[in-house]
Order: sequence, then structure tokens, then C-alpha cells
Amino acid sequence: MVRLITHNMLACHVKNCTKDNFPLSFSDVELVVRPAPENLEFIQRFLPKLDWSALVDTARSLGDESLPEQMPDQWTEEQLKALHHVLMELHVEEGNMTCRGCGHVYPISNGIPNMLLAEHEVGR
Amino acid sequence: MPQYILRISLDHTSFRIPSLLSVSQVFNFAIRFISKDKYRGLLVIELEKEEDVHHILARDTLVLSACELYASGDTYEELHEQMKGNLKVLEPYLHSSFKFTLEGANHRVLDKRVTETVESFAYTELKGKIQMKDPEEEFVIFEDYDWEVAHTVEARIKRDGKFRHVYFGRRVGFGKARLLPTVHDVKARAYYGNTSMDSHMGFLMAGQALPAPGKIIYDPFVGTGSMLYASAHWGAYVMGSDIDGRQIRGKAKGKEVKPGILRAAAQYGTEDLFLDCLTYDVTKSPIRRGGWVDAIITDPPYGVRAGAKRLGRKEGGRPLRDEPYMFPDGTYSHLMPGYLPPSRPYELANLTKDLVQLARWLLVPGGRLVFFLPTVTEDYQEVDVPVVEGMRELKVGEGSVQDFGKWGRRLITMEKTAQDDGPPPTFEDHEEFDIRNQPDHLPGHHGFRDRYATGFSSRKKSENASPAGTPPVLEPVVSLGSGDKV
Ligand SMILES: C[S@@+](CC[C@H](N)C(=O)[O-])C[C@H]1O[C@@H](n2cnc3c(N)ncnc32)[C@H](O)[C@@H]1O
Ligand SMILES: [Zn+2]
Repeated sequence: MVRLITHNMLACHVKNCTKDNFPLSFSDVELVVRPAPENLEFIQRFLPKLDWSALVDTARSLGDESLPEQMPDQWTEEQLKALHHVLMELHVEEGNMTCRGCGHVYPISNGIPNMLLAEHEVGR
Repeated sequence: MPQYILRISLDHTSFRIPSLLSVSQVFNFAIRFISKDKYRGLLVIELEKEEDVHHILARDTLVLSACELYASGDTYEELHEQMKGNLKVLEPYLHSSFKFTLEGANHRVLDKRVTETVESFAYTELKGKIQMKDPEEEFVIFEDYDWEVAHTVEARIKRDGKFRHVYFGRRVGFGKARLLPTVHDVKARAYYGNTSMDSHMGFLMAGQALPAPGKIIYDPFVGTGSMLYASAHWGAYVMGSDIDGRQIRGKAKGKEVKPGILRAAAQYGTEDLFLDCLTYDVTKSPIRRGGWVDAIITDPPYGVRAGAKRLGRKEGGRPLRDEPYMFPDGTYSHLMPGYLPPSRPYELANLTKDLVQLARWLLVPGGRLVFFLPTVTEDYQEVDVPVVEGMRELKVGEGSVQDFGKWGRRLITMEKTAQDDGPPPTFEDHEEFDIRNQPDHLPGHHGFRDRYATGFSSRKKSENASPAGTPPVLEPVVSLGSGDKV
């Protein structure tokens, strides 16, 4: 776990961190690919929720170059399948997600990210 | 339109109608309840087509069987008279092999009455072969008795034939979801904890979230995941978060260890539907946008087994640090392995209101919020369910309640009526629940943890509207663990 679909929904939430707090950048990653049953209708419905450029950059940082720079207006089945693969089948099992704004490191172990803030980051 | 007799469990009766409705909503068909008393062991409903009853049999954990209804009455005379005017319904089955069954609800009919009763249907002139094993059709006579405690032989003999109502119909099928709670039994689960929800309740709750393939269902207090297994069973994607990662993982440590929640999911064959599980405080959540979750389903912490807490420090105590703390040797405390930030109690009335606001933001239009609200029975009022613009409660009758005497758990189902995402909740303490503001009414779940601990003694006037100057009852700060030694 830590699939890119989830990663695309997460931003740094340290108090007063509002600039460059999304997307979190991966490092020291252990990546596992797990085939998942396709539901392309779901993928298509989810498109408007995605931040496309964040997704493309993140996928590339993990070595997946299959997504086009610009979100297509018309999707071919092949493109949707590539997107399914990126969103649902890549799992970051170990590593870090780092905020480019404040530098907070969110560690991932056994596929579970620890996104608890430290005391000085909470802001009441 | 055809009517059907459902033989239905007498457990969890206040969940029965919501459960049937939820199936009709998932599969988008209309259902009408014909029985005057909807809470007996037999329930007559009207549907447009037989296909709909198969959805009910496949999905509803309370339904034991379904028959197409042909005739009914308070006595056999009434039933036969009706049936004699309705014989054409049997035409398609005149030459099928068949058998007759006599079932009593709340009563086992005496053997000697079975034969004579079946023979009283001779006028149906069914011509097929009588076949007890695997007949093509099964015709069923239901006698519906009042529920009674005594089950002595004498009582049974005396009661026999004294039913309230009798029905006749053709078996359409048996409930296929009935055994799911057993298959998902917590004690046989690869991973569970002392906060795990009973598996049948898990299915009944999940049903209200209308789980289906391609939906995302989220539990912000996921614990050991028991709210999610049923949703995933019906094909939905699920995700969860918890302030305490140990609940998600379980005790076993090490790199190759699969988190507990995923071990249980693997046991049920739904691991690929578990999108993610994350550790964070829901009041300090990293979710960046709203409008993408189809349902939130949760059993919020109310302090009995796992107290609600949130990051922060108690009011009036030491203020929160603004700067990271550095040990004399130059290392930062928050970067030490096992560091746990300080937390303060999270009062249930505040939590509940936050939860509804979170749903208002996170859900898609029409999305659902399903949660248990524990309340002190004596103080519960309808207004206790938080009112938030853009969210409305869906309630059947008095609602679905698990009654434990002085307190009860209410299953609350809400629907997002707003079309936009709106702003994310701020998770500030809500003023209307601050006893220093002397509120006229505090919800029946306010301060639930303390009241549970004191055996639910009545609220004193002064607690409901405390005179100025009474110090607020605040719980001591609980640290999440031993890491917070600074
Ligand atoms: C009643 S339990 C939920 C049990 C869960 N249904 C299960 O299957 O185990 C409540 C959970 O809420 C968590 N919790 C308490 N305060 C929280 C907060 N502020 N944010 C997120 N989770 C919290 C607790 O750690 C606990 O696991
Ligand atoms: Zn940041």
C-alpha cells in the first residue's frame, strides 16, 4: 500500500505549511507491483478528483513513464489501463514521503505511512 | 405486482427495514411493505419483479427465505377461499414435480397436523410428481405465531393451530447472505482486537453505506478494520485511518510482516480492495481535497474501550511547543524512534459534530455517513444528531438502536444533500457543547466516557447548565505511549 491514488489525495498538514506542501515526494522507496482487477469505469469517474501534473511527476519519480504530460481529453482504453496500473497497482511499501515546503518526513513502513504530526507542528 | 413472504430473523429488528431498503437502493428497485406489523417473523413485501427478490436473498443477512405469496388469511377457511379464486397462478407449475412444506414462525407445527393440512390443498389439482428431494417447485404454508418464551411439550401442543395468520406461496429461494456473519466471525478472523465490531453488526452497518464495486468507503477511526470487511465483501474499495497505527498493524513487528488489517482482508479474499491504511489524527488530517469519498462508515471512539483523543495539550496546562525539542546531545525528540506526540481528550459531542462536517466535505453528493452514536437513554433527544447544512439524517421509524438499558447505540445514517464540497472542517471545539457557555441542553452522548464510568447516574441540573464559575470537567492528558517523555 501507499498507492498513488491515495498519495494524490495527501498533502503536508504541518501548521502554516501551505506552500509546496503537495505532492509529497517519495525517497528511499521499496516499490511492489501487485496486479489488481481493472475497473476502468471507476478510473474514469475518478479523473476529475486527480491532480494530474502531481500524478505524472510522482509516477515518473517512481520510474513509470506511461502517463502523458497533459491529461487527455479523450481516453483510449489503453491509456485508461496505464492509468489503472499507476493508480492501483504500484505500492510503496517502505520509504519516505517528504514535504518540499517544510521538509517534514512522513515515513512509510509495511505500507503504512505515519502521518502523525510532532508537537511543534500541530498548532493547537 | 407480485408480493413475497419473507421469512426473516427476529434479531436486530430495528435494523430490518433499513437493511431491506438499502438493498433496494443499491440495486435501484422499489419495495413496498405490505404487512401491517413489520416486526414479526414473516414479512410481506411487494416488488415489481422476481429478480428483485433475488437481490434481497443474495444480500440481506437477516432474510432466511422468500416465497411468492398466493393467498393468506387469519384462518385456513379465509386462505382457501382466496386461493380458490386465484388458481391460475399455479398454471405454470401444474406439471412440475413438487412438494409441500408447512413452516411455523415461532412454533414447530405438530407432525399429525402437517399431513391433514397439506391434504386440504387437494383442490389445487397439481398434477406433477410429488418428490421430497429436489422437486422443481416447493409450495409453502406458513403459520405465524406470537413469540413465546415457554417451550415445553405441553405448551407446544396447546399452542398448535393458534396462529395469528396463515400464508401460502411458492418458494423462490433461501437467504444466501445469512451465513456471512458466521463466515466473518470475529473470533475466527486472522486479526482482531477488543474494539472489533460484531460481524453481523458490521454487515448491517455496511449495508447502510450502499457498498458496491467502484465506490470508495472510508473509516476515519478504523482500529482493527472491522467496519471495512463487509463493505469490501460487497466489492467496494475501502480505506481507513487511525491515530494509533498499532491498531492497524497488530503486535507483530518486522519488515516482512503484513499489517493485521490486510491479513484479515486476505482471509476474506478482498485484500486488493483495501486501498490504503494510514496513521493520523482525523482532526489533523493530510487529506487535501473533498468530494471524492462515496461513504464514511465508522464506530467512533467513545471511551469505553478505546478513548477518543486528539493531538494537542489540555487547556490550562503546558502550552504546545512551537519549536522542536532538542536533547542535550543535539538530537531532536520528535525524530527519535517511537516518538509519540502529546494528546488531549476528544469529547464525544465535539467529535460527532466534526464527523458530520467531515462527511459534508469529503463525500460526493448523495454520499452517505454511517456511524454508531452511543447515548445515555434518559437524555437522548432527536436533536442530538448533529445538524449540519448539506447533510440530512435518513431514519426509519424510531431509528435503529441496540439497547443496553441505561445506554444504547444508535445507528445514524446521513446523506449528503449538498452538491459542492464546501470548506474542510476546522475541528475547533464547538461552543455549544462547552459547559462554560451554560447550554440549555447537552446531547445524550456528551461526556459519554465519564458517564459510562459512573454507571449513568442522572445529570444534575448543574451539569446541564453549569452555574458560572463551575470548573469544566476535563480529563487528564493521556499520552499515546511511552515515547513522550520530554
Ligand atoms: C471504537 S474504536 C474503532 C474500532 C474499529 N471499528 C475496529 O474494528 O477495531 C475507535 C478507534 O478510534 C481511534 N481514535 C481515537 N481518537 C482518534 C483520532 N483523533 N483520530 C483518529 N483515530 C482516533 C482509536 O485508536 C480506536 O482505534
Ligand atoms: Zn510541510
